[in-house]
Amino acid sequence: HTHTVRQTHTNTVALKRMLNFNAPPLKNAAAEPVWKVLIYDRFGQDIISPLLSVKELRDMGITLHLLLHSDRDPIPDVPAVYFVMPTEENIDRICQDLRNQLYESYYLNFISAISRSKLEDIASAALAANAVTQVTKVYDQYLNFITLEDDMFTLCHQNKELISYHAINRADIQDTEMEAIMDTVVDSLFCFFVTLGAVPIIRCPRGNAAEMVAVKLDKKLRENLRDARNSLFTGDNMAAGQFSFQRPLFVLVDRNVDMATPLHHTWTYQALIHDVLDLQLNRVVMEEGAGADPSPTGARPKKKIRKTYDLTAADKFWQKHKGSPFPEVAESVQEELDSYRAQEDEVKHLKSIMSRTSPDGRLSGWCVFSLRLKTLCLYILCCSSLPELLEKKRLIDLHTNVATAVLDHIKSRKLDVYFEYEEKLMSKSTLDKSLLDIISDPDAGTPEDKMRLFLIYYITAQQAPSESDLEQYKTALLDAGCDLSPLNYIKQWNLFSRVMNSGSQFVMEGVKNLVLKQHNLPVTRILDNLMEMKSNPETDDYRYFDPKMLRGSERYHANAIVFVVGGGNYIEYQNLVDYAKFKQGKKVVYGCSELSNAAQFTKQLSQLGQK
Amino acid sequence: MAVDITLLFKASVKTVKTRNKAIGIGFDSTKDEIFKRSRPKSGFSPKAKEVITNITKLKDFLLQHRKDYVSAGSLISSDLTRMTDNERDQIDQDAQIFMRTCSEAIKQLRNEAVKQVTSAQVKEHRGAVLDLIEIYLRGVCKLYSEQRAIRVKRMVDKKRLVSEVPNNPVNLWEEGRVEDELSPEEIQMFEQENQRLVSEMNSLVDEVRQIEGKVVEISRLQEIFAEKVLQQETEIDSIHQLVVGATENVKEGNEDIREAIKNNAGFRVWILFFLVMCSFSLLFLDWYDS
Repeated sequence: HTHTVRQTHTNTVALKRMLNFNAPPLKNAAAEPVWKVLIYDRFGQDIISPLLSVKELRDMGITLHLLLHSDRDPIPDVPAVYFVMPTEENIDRICQDLRNQLYESYYLNFISAISRSKLEDIASAALAANAVTQVTKVYDQYLNFITLEDDMFTLCHQNKELISYHAINRADIQDTEMEAIMDTVVDSLFCFFVTLGAVPIIRCPRGNAAEMVAVKLDKKLRENLRDARNSLFTGDNMAAGQFSFQRPLFVLVDRNVDMATPLHHTWTYQALIHDVLDLQLNRVVMEEGAGADPSPTGARPKKKIRKTYDLTAADKFWQKHKGSPFPEVAESVQEELDSYRAQEDEVKHLKSIMSRTSPDGRLSGWCVFSLRLKTLCLYILCCSSLPELLEKKRLIDLHTNVATAVLDHIKSRKLDVYFEYEEKLMSKSTLDKSLLDIISDPDAGTPEDKMRLFLIYYITAQQAPSESDLEQYKTALLDAGCDLSPLNYIKQWNLFSRVMNSGSQFVMEGVKNLVLKQHNLPVTRILDNLMEMKSNPETDDYRYFDPKMLRGSERYHANAIVFVVGGGNYIEYQNLVDYAKFKQGKKVVYGCSELSNAAQFTKQLSQLGQK
Repeated sequence: MAVDITLLFKASVKTVKTRNKAIGIGFDSTKDEIFKRSRPKSGFSPKAKEVITNITKLKDFLLQHRKDYVSAGSLISSDLTRMTDNERDQIDQDAQIFMRTCSEAIKQLRNEAVKQVTSAQVKEHRGAVLDLIEIYLRGVCKLYSEQRAIRVKRMVDKKRLVSEVPNNPVNLWEEGRVEDELSPEEIQMFEQENQRLVSEMNSLVDEVRQIEGKVVEISRLQEIFAEKVLQQETEIDSIHQLVVGATENVKEGNEDIREAIKNNAGFRVWILFFLVMCSFSLLFLDWYDS
């Protein structure tokens, strides 16, 4: 059983270390508090927020956390920890801070490696401000990626449109722009492997952005390994026990290999939330009081309250059910509510006994007193479990609200119909309804839903529909209020991919499974082929890179990282998680350049189709 | 893995210095030094640090004497390192005064910070600093209350054991324990104490549950009885009313019967009289005729 390290844990430990002035945090609970302020840029904020809550920051002694590019007042007696990207504007602002003598001492942590010239800029500003001694530590953190789950990461949240599918695939892209995007992606992936402490074996398809990334990453890793003195992958930097003797398999795929999944209407909890609600960096933002408003025409006059919910690793219910089909989730919430009510009743009962006045005269005074004392002890014991109970209640409320909002969407848009139909399309099963019926049905879904469905039909079709059929569909879609520009792009894409892949169609493999019918999406299938060394025309042609340039090619991998260039989604992630569950002893991590839900992806296709 | 490039930074500083010298740019370092020193250093930070130092002193003090404090006095008080109860009381008192003083100091700092005119960020920062100090104080107070709880429990146990069991094997065990200087033993002992306390509390909880169950039943029954009695009371009342009414009726009835009898009797007399008169008149008429 290969030992693997949990991604969130590694990164959280790295962050905590950084926040403790780059020293391992003491275990001693009753240690003297040391206070500090944390300065971050938006990238740093995105990296920290899924891993550490505000309370945890406070516990680490951080009294203030501020954005780099904000008005900051001098607090001259406190050390400041910076966590920023080494960009031009950020460096300028740091120099400004040094000149203005804002803080007592400076601990500079750069998310990805800073260049020598920029370091000299800071040095000269420090000299000018006579603050050299105040710059206590400077670190390259190599944390330029966002860890959302133990087995999922993404590269970018702010400005994700810069490296999105649209950015990479638009027709008018310049070579220099493409290079820049690839460099950004490679830099983040490099940081990922430095933090992981392992050099992977890279596999990628030919002739697309994924290959570009693979080539560049391989080059960067090789260059780093060659410089033995400064290599980041030597024994000193690698924590013992990670991927001990097995090197991870790194599979790069391009978004174009599967265009249907990002549009799919899904049925599992986490993916549903991402699709129908506003889920960003493990935080759900909802407007309550108005319910789901799917109708494109109406704006509810009711007053809306904005609520945010954090979905954390500590939320046991979430961890258990984030990949569960939605009906299961609804049942489980009800179960949790029932069990909570039972516990609550016990506490209420005790409370009432406590406050009950003694039955007049029947029990002697002393008896009542000792009874009350003992009941008080019992109550105190109960109170120690009260925080637990309150936390449980909070989580139940959270999931009730979220699940209800999701259910509202499902009901009003008839998403279950879409889900089933699309599953049938994707698995090439027989269809019981006509596509035209669903599109023409005014009650079933928003125009966007209909467009998504039609695009999936178009993509998964064995043969392109005839011109007359296409016209029929187009008319129906236009009647329903859809924007047809995504279709223009998909048509182009379809032609292109048919030419390139010569017959490789969308295939969703139905895997026989004792428990449930597991469908492997294309990305999962590709991983399966490579990891299990299965021969398949699709993956046989994949390129092989080993930055360590070892003689024999590593064939057996217990750990794999799948990375989608051009955007990923929770549906693919969930599919991989389900796949990994049935592979004992193998761990799979999913990464993507950025996370888009179906709405965002459709918008990108629309932009591409308009050009 | 994070890479420390502080040395690289220092090297960059040297590079820049050399470069500047070569170009002829020099920095007026002395002026800046004076400038830096002349900036008013706020009183907040040193005061806050002072409070922390005091709390640490208290913590060290408590930890230092913890072993002696916690060990129970034995009947054979030959060892001089054993603490008398008076000494323990002194420690308790000192600790309490100290904690109170620290708490007051924190409060005072807070008031000062509020009154001072500073930016919102500085205010927030100072508030958070004071929160951290309070949490630290609370942690140290917990140390104190833990060892005090152990002491109280020991006293209670001792009283109970002394009254029940003349031979005190517990103390011998304690005495043996004190000989050990190793702190992991200490920790183990505390853990065992904790376990004992927990299991005692658990049995107490069970006991209380039982009793509570019984009492709840009794009170419930009593409620039922009270209810029934009240019900009966109203019924009794209504019966009483009925009875009283009935008695009245009977009385009236008797009166009526007496009256009726009287009337009856009177009526008969009149009939008799009438009949007798009729007879006499018949007789008279008959005598008159003959």
